[in-house]
Amino acid sequence: MSNANEKKSNTPILIIVGVLVLAVLGGWWLYSTSKPVTPANSNAATNKANSAAKTNTIPANAPMGAQPPNQSGSQTAMVTLEEFADFQCGSCAAAHPALNEIKSIYGSRIRFIFRNYPLSIPAHDKSYDAAVAAEAAGMQGKFWDMQNLLFTNQQAWTTAPTFRQIWKGYAEKIGLDIPKWENDIAGIAAKSRVDEDLKRGKAIGVNSTPTLFINGASIQYVEMTVPALKQVIDAELQKLAPQNQTANTAPAANTGNVNK
Amino acid sequence: MTNPEAPNENASRAIVKLPLAAAIIALIGLADAIYLTVHHYTAAPVPCGADFDCGSVLSSPYAEIGGIPLAAFGAAAYFAAFSLALLAAFGNRALWTLFGVQTILMATVSAWLTYIQYAVINAWCQYCLFSAFTTFTLYLLFLASRFLKADSSDN
Repeated sequence: MSNANEKKSNTPILIIVGVLVLAVLGGWWLYSTSKPVTPANSNAATNKANSAAKTNTIPANAPMGAQPPNQSGSQTAMVTLEEFADFQCGSCAAAHPALNEIKSIYGSRIRFIFRNYPLSIPAHDKSYDAAVAAEAAGMQGKFWDMQNLLFTNQQAWTTAPTFRQIWKGYAEKIGLDIPKWENDIAGIAAKSRVDEDLKRGKAIGVNSTPTLFINGASIQYVEMTVPALKQVIDAELQKLAPQNQTANTAPAANTGNVNK
Repeated sequence: MTNPEAPNENASRAIVKLPLAAAIIALIGLADAIYLTVHHYTAAPVPCGADFDCGSVLSSPYAEIGGIPLAAFGAAAYFAAFSLALLAAFGNRALWTLFGVQTILMATVSAWLTYIQYAVINAWCQYCLFSAFTTFTLYLLFLASRFLKADSSDN
């Protein structure tokens, strides 16, 4: 009888220990099955880069996105950063200054591509239109100016009923031909560019913004800081430099907007 | 021929079953929290519905404390809740009160995090909402046990 009682009193402890073991094993299994595969590395610098860069790689057969893309830096740079962002996403606006700083630090040593990835969620009800407005500005060579204004002033327009008037103010500020900009917003070309970027993002599994790829390997949002990004970019540059020393001296092919 | 003890017995039986139900729900919450913790460390994309923006929520500054993902704290809390509820189900009634205190804390944190999603991040993550739902359910189960206890005492 006392044995039976003892057995009964031990039962919850055994169950708790069992659940703990299962939780640890289950978590470990989930971690090992969902952890992106890291390619073999040849040196410490690459190791460091790959520890930061989560290698959700971009498939070669993924749709190209809008062509030419909104890009800055050099088209022949060894390191390409490709950002998928949504103009109403707070995290994208938060990461924007760091990415701008990276662009100014590396100049033509990197190629920076911006992809529109407006999320279809109620809280982001203006993000698709904002992307179209930025693309329409790009048709006058002012994509980056508009992109910068939309991100840096996100709080001013994101919940404002007069957001279109606010954007028009930005368009005037950067010297756009307003009637042409409004026509381009209403037209099909700017929307098609946004749709093409969306297609690419969806095909490569982008499901949140901002998503950043450095040489095809995705970077966590928490690593979108200047020091962390520098580590990854420097390691990539170091890794690729011996094979492509001439690329370092390549002229800046495209430090401005190519979307003209 | 009616049994005057029947309401009391039913209430007592329900009180015994509530901790067991709470233990099962805490296990579900634990699975959700482990999934989010693993996601945080792998940065693997999580399937997210069209009406949600998991990325903005899970990568926001609110998603971690001192470099530790909030989901890991959630997993620890759910495991503790599971343990307390299970021990209570096996007769340790004092731990059920402790479980109640814990669920009040968990529900408060969940309410704050839900507010953060709504008002600060402006985006929703279904895994986080599900966690809030399980936390509130745990709290409601505890409340129900208090009412049933009061009810059975009155009878």
